[in-house]
Amino acid sequence: MKKTKKPKKKVRYKGSPPANARKKKFLWLNVLPQDLWIKVRRGTTVWKALEKTNVNLEGECGGLGKCGKCKIRVITAIGPPIREEAELLSPEELKTGIRLACRTKIRKDLVVHTEVSDEEVEFFQILKYGQMPIIQMDPLLDKRPVSVQPPSLENPASDVDRIREGLGQEYRHLKVAYQCLSSLYEDLRKTKFEGTAVLHDECLLAWQPRKMAARRYGLIFDIGTSTLVGALVSLLDGQDVAVVSRLNSQNRHGSDVISRIQYVKEHSRGLSQMQRHLVEDLNILSRRMLQVTHLAKGDIAVAVLAGNTTMQHMFLGLDPRGIAEAPFAPVITEGMIVRAQDVGLDLHPEAVLYIMPSKSGYIGGDLLGFVLASGAANEKDRLVLGLDFGTNGEIFLGNRERMLTCSAAAGPALEGARITHGMIGKAGAIEGFRCDVNSLHYRVIGNIKPRGLCGSGLVDLVALLLHHDLLDADGLLRPISEEATSEMASRLVKRAGNELHDFVVVPSADSLDGSEIRLTQKDVRELQLAKAAIAAGVKTLMKTMGVDTKDIDVIYLAGALGNYVHPLSAMRIGLLPRIDPEKIIPLGNAASTGAKMVLLSKQYWNKSAEIAQFIEHVELSTHPNLFDYFVKEMSFPTENLW
Amino acid sequence: MSYETLSDAVVKGDINTAKEATQRAVAAGDNIQDILDQGLIAAMDVVGGQFSKGLMFVPQMLRSAKTMQECVELLKPHFKEGEVTTKGKVVLGTVKGDLHDIGKNLVRMMLEGAGFSVIDLQVDVAPEAFVAKVNEEKAEIMGMSALLSTTMPAMSQTIKALVDSGIRDRVKVMIGGAPVTANYAEEIGADAYAPDAGSAVIEAKKMLGID
Repeated sequence: MKKTKKPKKKVRYKGSPPANARKKKFLWLNVLPQDLWIKVRRGTTVWKALEKTNVNLEGECGGLGKCGKCKIRVITAIGPPIREEAELLSPEELKTGIRLACRTKIRKDLVVHTEVSDEEVEFFQILKYGQMPIIQMDPLLDKRPVSVQPPSLENPASDVDRIREGLGQEYRHLKVAYQCLSSLYEDLRKTKFEGTAVLHDECLLAWQPRKMAARRYGLIFDIGTSTLVGALVSLLDGQDVAVVSRLNSQNRHGSDVISRIQYVKEHSRGLSQMQRHLVEDLNILSRRMLQVTHLAKGDIAVAVLAGNTTMQHMFLGLDPRGIAEAPFAPVITEGMIVRAQDVGLDLHPEAVLYIMPSKSGYIGGDLLGFVLASGAANEKDRLVLGLDFGTNGEIFLGNRERMLTCSAAAGPALEGARITHGMIGKAGAIEGFRCDVNSLHYRVIGNIKPRGLCGSGLVDLVALLLHHDLLDADGLLRPISEEATSEMASRLVKRAGNELHDFVVVPSADSLDGSEIRLTQKDVRELQLAKAAIAAGVKTLMKTMGVDTKDIDVIYLAGALGNYVHPLSAMRIGLLPRIDPEKIIPLGNAASTGAKMVLLSKQYWNKSAEIAQFIEHVELSTHPNLFDYFVKEMSFPTENLW
Repeated sequence: MSYETLSDAVVKGDINTAKEATQRAVAAGDNIQDILDQGLIAAMDVVGGQFSKGLMFVPQMLRSAKTMQECVELLKPHFKEGEVTTKGKVVLGTVKGDLHDIGKNLVRMMLEGAGFSVIDLQVDVAPEAFVAKVNEEKAEIMGMSALLSTTMPAMSQTIKALVDSGIRDRVKVMIGGAPVTANYAEEIGADAYAPDAGSAVIEAKKMLGID
């Protein structure tokens, strides 16, 4: 990979640039609407220049010029587009000055606008909630009201010893956190020796006034590659008090873990940047949760975090490079307990942070959280299949007798990427289709005009096309017959210049930005590859286990697509094995649920470590039958389901 | 002699019809090289083209490749030493650190279908191993694939290894894989970039000056 030299120091100004900025080796990039001025070395691409700023561009390929989504509007007069741009952008877009940030090299002072069309505030559909089983409360953090004897000539023991006495036999080995000790003399006396002990394990984290005894909260974080979810949970009753989410700020460095690791590889301070992004994001989430609940950061002394192995590594500042190359070895898989302040989380100074264990480079704490939430590891007779669709689809199969897991390289198509008019689940994305008496209806997130398809919409649409025989089992879009006149059939149009057909999903008049939304032949191929990867993973696990589709008693789905996808559509296209749809149960954000179970009951922390030990990892990339399964699963099932 | 029936059957992946047509042609005393070139290889050219366009997909392409293989088996007893020529030798593999070989396998099948002889080094191939094999086999083309952007740099390292051992000018280098682009190929000094298995054949022929 070619290394572009970066200017050592980037100067950013708000407002106008200094008047004496001379045109030399360094040029000015003015970014609107933020009105950010960035000093860059001549020849740097706009993408590179924006990488270290807070400006978020879309983009899936990490600046490779492949996805065509990092669109910017160049205001300064600019030359003709380069080849990739001519291919990826429409003539209308090119005419209005739209270019790709990763292909636009800065050769003169440049003014660019990052909003290609005038958009309102984005509304992202991020799955925040999950199905929670009933559990026995035994939170990681305990708060006990304690009465301590004031020191006297009869009992001149140390403050800590007298706290031990007050707490009783159970805590005779009590240790005290340093921060707590440093103010303990005053704290005890301010509370007149009647206070609340904040206890974690056998350690006193803080001494608080008595009235704080009922303020028991903990945080959980689900750190996904693209989205982050935080929840403030009451440790008294296990209820969510606040749930917030945001996009992962690392998105600017590519949409999948591989491009993030690539960034770390290529930049000397890449890892610390990645860590800073995550920590900063989580701090923003916590601040927002504390704000709405009128709590202070000092009120939070425990948090549990679940993410994929790469995200967990980056969060801790551990080098993830081993994960991106065979044999895909991470630095560590065990769960960890660290002090929140050591990683920069802005909570109580002695707050403890639990990081979920993982199994391997591609089976992370989020999948173990999912297993935990599904209860599969306790099932005796029922055979459980669990799927979390994503760029890497994580799958597990089994019960407490034996459990297998694998990670299938599905690619990002199911998240709307690499699809011509694909997008992630945010305002304007069509999330579902319905067809009655041959007319097509769709549902749009945010209830506005549509501007693209997200994963669940894509699956629904392709299932409908198969059902109406406009798409054959080989995956070719073609008319049923010359004279077919149904509304569905009339939407299938021949492409100029070749024999391929497109399906017109939304005519230009009905879409948000006035351009047609189409499903192309290439999009169908992308979906075929993605669903084949998942289905081949499921098949590999079933064969390894020696079971068949009919043996599966329940399918749990985790994550956004699993939650919104129609089970019948998923089965119609062969993404899921064909079973009774009643047996398909979406669990919502299962990684969060798993983390919450750990927070609320200590046994689940141990349980997650047990599962990590017990579950067997099946490596797909070297599996001898994968190729055959993969190819076989690329075709669509022939039978209709409704 | 026209081989339309045979070609059609290979394109459709109709093994039985293709085998019958091959047997008929052999029984009629046709030149074996003609059956291969005008019947089988010509059909695979069509398949490659349709695949690149998106009209055909991987399972159908494989079915065609399998049909062709079965027909080649029927022809084999009739090959005389030195009579059947190969279009060229290709050394293939995924680069060091990369285990994803599905794309590379498709390229192999299509190249074989087009009449190239392929030496497949499989996966996780070190630069030295590529160089040694190219040298040993006197291969005309070396093909590398990478699925992960993190393993792409190994392509450039392998090309450097060719340069260092002084055989870079004796072999044409073709690269491919999901994150790879034509620009990247140019950047690291590869001779060709193939976005898919069908294009790999076209590029291979172009590099060796075969029409």
